Amino acid sequence: MDSDRYALCPAVRFDRISVRFGQTNILENVCATVPQGGATALIGPNGAGKTTLLHCLVGTVSYNGAVVDTRPRIGYVPQQMRLDDGMPLLVGEFVSMHVHRRPLWLGRSAYARKRARDLLGMTGAGRLEAGRMGELSGGELRRVLLAAALACDPELLLLDEPAAGVDVSGERRFWEMLDAVRRQRKLTQLVVSHNLPLVARYATHVICLNKRLVAEGAPRSTLTSSTLMRLFGIPIHLYPDQCDSVEPPCPEYGAPEGESSHV
Amino acid sequence: MSEFFILDFSPVYALIALLPWDCFQVGFMQRALFALFLLAPMAAVLGIEVINFRMAFFSDVVGHSAFTGMACGLLLSIEPRLAMLVFGVFTGIVIMAMYRRLHFSSDTVIGIVFSGVVALGLAVVSRAGGMARDMRQFLYGDILAINEVEISLLLLLSAGLLLFQFLGYNSLLSIALDPVTARVRGVRVALWQYFFAGFLALVVMYSVWAVGVLLVTAMLIVPAATARNLARSACGMFWWAIAAAQLSAFAGLALAAQDWLVTAGGATIILVACCLFGISVVWAIVRNR
Repeated sequence: MDSDRYALCPAVRFDRISVRFGQTNILENVCATVPQGGATALIGPNGAGKTTLLHCLVGTVSYNGAVVDTRPRIGYVPQQMRLDDGMPLLVGEFVSMHVHRRPLWLGRSAYARKRARDLLGMTGAGRLEAGRMGELSGGELRRVLLAAALACDPELLLLDEPAAGVDVSGERRFWEMLDAVRRQRKLTQLVVSHNLPLVARYATHVICLNKRLVAEGAPRSTLTSSTLMRLFGIPIHLYPDQCDSVEPPCPEYGAPEGESSHV
Repeated sequence: MSEFFILDFSPVYALIALLPWDCFQVGFMQRALFALFLLAPMAAVLGIEVINFRMAFFSDVVGHSAFTGMACGLLLSIEPRLAMLVFGVFTGIVIMAMYRRLHFSSDTVIGIVFSGVVALGLAVVSRAGGMARDMRQFLYGDILAINEVEISLLLLLSAGLLLFQFLGYNSLLSIALDPVTARVRGVRVALWQYFFAGFLALVVMYSVWAVGVLLVTAMLIVPAATARNLARSACGMFWWAIAAAQLSAFAGLALAAQDWLVTAGGATIILVACCLFGISVVWAIVRNR
């Protein structure tokens, strides 16, 4: 991957970020950078503070420390939305809401319709425009949310577990699309994810977080078995050469006996 | 309330008098119908947002705060309806502030405020007797007693709410879907939430006068729920809700005044709204087959 290209120019720098909720430390002295133009993945176990760090960046959480950035235009793809099946909100209306300020009850302008169609087309969701938000599958909803996030022409795109609840092939296709959008629009991505193989494949920079910064850098040099052991407390080998076992099957990666693929 | 704020609505009443029903030839019915034409769409539109925010219980609490406000007004010799309005808005803002600052679900916060408000009202009533007549008005509503000053204030509120919905409809929907995304989009979440709570409290208070506290939530929710069944889009839902609310208000008031029925106006309005909801359910089932 082209990790090194993005190494030197930070779009965002987290400088000694600490967050407390009551007596609980959510983040402690986190220092990390998000390189400009790259796809940075934020990984860590549940409760590690990944989403909280994103919220520090968008200003919805009080924190100590500093978030240093160039005040970029931010697009945000949330982990979930409070939608229910019966809500009569069309996909086209939802995306248009992000395009212009005219209230939806006055209808959508021709410009808003065209722009919504273009954005949905870009994320492979063009055929969904006339559908209801509440009737979308998990994968379709992710594409629509991404289209809406792109409406403001973001320089920095934040995604909080964007593929949660999507099947394996859907998640893979979503990351492929994200990668294409990032390159095409030359934007910076910061993605919270639990899918380590896809992070290893598509991310250009990784921040490993467990309340504190555990490691950060290019995926190949950061997602080592020792780092992942510190992060998750279980043995995970993302790259074949990280495995100490000479003969497959590896006794540690957890696949049933007789199978030789790595996690 | 001061007498200086009275607009001349005689052209409107003249128009209402053209309706081919005898009941609309008398002044108090004309005032009631005009007031409902102003109030019903406001309640319906805010009802959409109440459903989106899952805050149906909120309007119930603010409605019940009318009871406490009225009791406090009578006790302190303040115009009861003014005391209701002020106390209702205060209650709405307190709920929103607690909801935003405490890490409780909205149901829990509303439940706490509900208990406190009703207990305070009961305590005040138990201390000062002779409030039975006013309390009956609070329970069942009395839109026929609305006067010109109150209609003028209602018109002012309508203009304010129209502006609020023009500027804030998309923002409120965005907040209801995900407050963090709304914040990232530049929406001032707290500001809109407090304005919403304030407007909702005012409309709920007027609705208590119209249909009484027992039915106030229905006035907000039922037309919005009907619209949800009929509409394909958010835009459609807005206009269907207004249409359902206006039809319910008009038909309910007209029916209640018929010699062969003679029922409470507020209750009849809500019954018509519920019938429309039933029709919308059948329509939705047929459409989705």
